[in-house]
Amino acid sequence: MIITVEGLHKSFGKLEVLKGIDCEVSVGEVLCVIGPSGSGKSTFLRCLNFLESFTEGQVTIGGHNLTGPKTNLNAVRRDVGMVFQGFNVFPHMKVIDNIMLAPMKVGKVSRTEARTRGMALLEKVGLTNKADVYPSTLSGGQMQRVAIARALAMEPTVMLFDEPTSALDPETVGDVLDVMKTLAEEGMTMVVVTHEMGFAREVADRVLFMDAGVIVEEGTPAQIFESPQHVRTQTFLSKLL
Amino acid sequence: MTLYFGDILPYLPVMLEALWVSIYVTLISFAAGGVLGIFIYLAKASRFRSLKLISNGYIEVIRNTPLLVQLYLIYFGLGSIGINFNPLWSVLIGMTLNNSAYTAEIFRAGISAVPKGLREAGTALGMPFHQTFRYVILKPGIRNVLPALTNQFIVLFLFSSIGSVIALGELTSTLQNLNSQTLRTLEIFSVGALLYFLTSAAIAVASRITERLAFRW
Repeated sequence: MIITVEGLHKSFGKLEVLKGIDCEVSVGEVLCVIGPSGSGKSTFLRCLNFLESFTEGQVTIGGHNLTGPKTNLNAVRRDVGMVFQGFNVFPHMKVIDNIMLAPMKVGKVSRTEARTRGMALLEKVGLTNKADVYPSTLSGGQMQRVAIARALAMEPTVMLFDEPTSALDPETVGDVLDVMKTLAEEGMTMVVVTHEMGFAREVADRVLFMDAGVIVEEGTPAQIFESPQHVRTQTFLSKLL
Repeated sequence: MTLYFGDILPYLPVMLEALWVSIYVTLISFAAGGVLGIFIYLAKASRFRSLKLISNGYIEVIRNTPLLVQLYLIYFGLGSIGINFNPLWSVLIGMTLNNSAYTAEIFRAGISAVPKGLREAGTALGMPFHQTFRYVILKPGIRNVLPALTNQFIVLFLFSSIGSVIALGELTSTLQNLNSQTLRTLEIFSVGALLYFLTSAAIAVASRITERLAFRW
């Protein structure tokens, strides 16, 4: 198991948003997390690299226990790539510099090496011709692909995606999903919080339905989408159609 | 009535010299106050309650008292207990302290206006906070503060006229002297105002150009 989550609880003040999550992800698995807004799915994802601290429970990722006494969170995060809903591309750096920054500053990779790697990643996400422009000239879909390349530049073992297409224009969603699909096919371990049911159905190995801070139901895409067992899952899915 | 600008023309070099005093007093106190302001901002943004309290208190006291009174306190107040500064030092200290409180607030506003997501992206890449701050937050932050800093610089420059109350020999006090020598009140002060205006406008334009050159993204 590359990710193990046990009894995860998280409260914001008095509001308990995660009420005991248990979950495991194996190497190479693509796990999609679906559920209504406010169900805690993004918070859950953000707990996996400790971008969000949690109140109770254990998270082990890539062999690191996040709350262990000797855990270096920065070292953990180097192995865990993250893609955000709002892209969070660095606006003051050219596309290629966005990708080269962390390998150079954190990974101690030489500039030439970082650039070579960065260009290869840009090719992978189909943006070779955008290497030397500033992000402000890019569309949302292009920015998100830069963000994916930036995360991949650290050669992570796990990728976390937090609603990566929710802020995109419909016509650019496909490009981003294609990149993610390719990644999945290459065997990347991925946890994807998403509203793209088509993607979850097609790419996920396992789908997890969350509501009100708990995992209501999980199973293969076929199980969840064709024959959901729980009423809340049924209601949620029926609203989408 | 008739205006006689010709009469005051010979005094123009004196005025320009005095203008230069105003400018360099502003430059020094802006730079020194800026550095001090960074430390006050860092204290305010720190985790330590006592540092927060002290810096907040400092900022509030400075921002809620007139610069003129602050200057009197330094020049006359401290003078009365035997701590004497000459007019130049008094003005430099007063303007530096005053500027530091305002600049600290400008830094705070500018840095906190940098989207939280950028910091998270840096953190998620495994960069320790000092790297995230330096490579991710700083430049957008500077871009945020530049217009406000320019404004502060101009305000400070205009405030330097209070040096006249302790006879610093900057532009305003020189205008007062020339006025009593020539009695060309309207001419003297309108030319003086024009000098202040042109300098401020030049600063604003320079700032715009800097912004355009430095922030091409």
